[in-house]
Amino acid sequence: MFDGDVLSTQNFTFGNRGLLPLALGLLLSFPADSSAQNTPGPTSPTALSGYMEVHYTNAELEDGQLDFHRFILLITHQFSDRIRFVSELELEHALVAGLEEAGELELEQAYIDFLLSRSFNVRAGMLLMPVGIINERHEPPVFYGVERPLVETVIIPTTWFEPGVGIHGELGRGWRYRAYVTSPLNAARFSAEEGVRDGRQKGSRTNVGKAAATGRVEYVGIRGLTTGASFWAGSTGFEFRPRFDVPVRVVEADARYARARFEGRAQVAQVTIAGAGDLNDAIARTTGVNPNIARTLRGSYLEASYRVVSGARFGDVGTFVRYENVDTQFRMPAGYLPLQEFDRDAWVVGATYWPEPDIAVKFDYVHQRNRSAIVPAPHSFNIGLGWWF
Amino acid sequence: MRTLLLASGALLLGSMSVAPWAVSRAQDAPLVQTVDVAAERFSFTPSEIKTTVGTVLTIRLTSDDTAHGFRIVGSDVNIEIPKRSRGTATVTFTPEKAGRYTFECSKLCGAGHSFMRGVIIATEAPKDEE
Repeated sequence: MFDGDVLSTQNFTFGNRGLLPLALGLLLSFPADSSAQNTPGPTSPTALSGYMEVHYTNAELEDGQLDFHRFILLITHQFSDRIRFVSELELEHALVAGLEEAGELELEQAYIDFLLSRSFNVRAGMLLMPVGIINERHEPPVFYGVERPLVETVIIPTTWFEPGVGIHGELGRGWRYRAYVTSPLNAARFSAEEGVRDGRQKGSRTNVGKAAATGRVEYVGIRGLTTGASFWAGSTGFEFRPRFDVPVRVVEADARYARARFEGRAQVAQVTIAGAGDLNDAIARTTGVNPNIARTLRGSYLEASYRVVSGARFGDVGTFVRYENVDTQFRMPAGYLPLQEFDRDAWVVGATYWPEPDIAVKFDYVHQRNRSAIVPAPHSFNIGLGWWF
Repeated sequence: MRTLLLASGALLLGSMSVAPWAVSRAQDAPLVQTVDVAAERFSFTPSEIKTTVGTVLTIRLTSDDTAHGFRIVGSDVNIEIPKRSRGTATVTFTPEKAGRYTFECSKLCGAGHSFMRGVIIATEAPKDEE
């Protein structure tokens, strides 16, 4: 059909060596990649990869905690040029002993991609919701901070995955899209503090009486820039008897731009829960406790980072600062007052050391505040070790 | 806060630049075209390369994060792109027919690996005037 020819002639290059004579660099004498020729790409149809994260958290007024937060294995198989399988299996908190607080074994992705054309492809199985920055791009070396941003935890409930089917493709000039139909969230598990997070069904005998729809339009046409807008819409009241409708909408916009050593990120996200008053009444009737779920939840963050050392023999060092504002009680249904401790903001400052591009040693300090005069917002110091292979 | 977010978005858009392209030809020699392509989780930039049939297309590949692969589907081109700061991978490819040639990341690089695709669009070269 056509000729393809691989040339293997170019040497690898390095820049800005020896900028910081850090003692750490002397201790960690990582060998430079001295390959003189380009390496052929992999040819096996089956591949194994993974990433892991270990965290040390020292929150104010509490003892320090060491947690093997995530152990993830990715297995892929290419049946043909047009049909492939992708999976991601996650063990959270190192132990599976029942509830989420103890640990979870989760099938975060397991889908078949039918690659039909550049602009139209079909995907079916366990899917990551295409919402936000982190949900589809969450390998530890690619984001600053030990924990994921609060916005992408309690407004967008990462890691957010559900079974479903959908289409995706690239429309040209850097525009691409995803559109899926999946199982919905479960409103019976919503809360004042963490919003819709606990409503994820996670693909386990999920109710699909009324399927949810989600999608994202994204622009990646300029090097370093990724900007996109996402939505999710679904009816979430299926667990109640008598059944009633609790429509939920999630809208989100984000931008990420990296140039040379600088990277900036911005995101704004909002969740709307129609019928939140009826939902509170229904949960209170079932549990005896008013969950005080809001009708609108909102969050946003800005992050700026800079690699103060880049391309050195002992690795890279970057620093960052992030401001987050999260309010899971932003607008309340009639007759309900917001719980002020869940109107939070935080300054997060820290650094990441990459001894090599796929290993990240992270440090950060989280200065969290809330509007409550009674319930304090604990500050915390965190250390993380994450890697990808 | 909202104003800040909007302002930062405008700044980001304002600082955009276009990836370099270069096309040249010595007398009576085939056209030579060089394109720089950046790879990162989970996109190639640019993801669309336009060329003409018979042009010797040289693609210089760098990564902004982990190691990626670059494979042109249906051809022998399949090369590993070294990790950030570890250098450049270079491939050449000469389309012999007009058409669309899909390229993709051939090294598993994360949750969105299968989004890393692009296309080389080869059109017939305009005939030289006598």
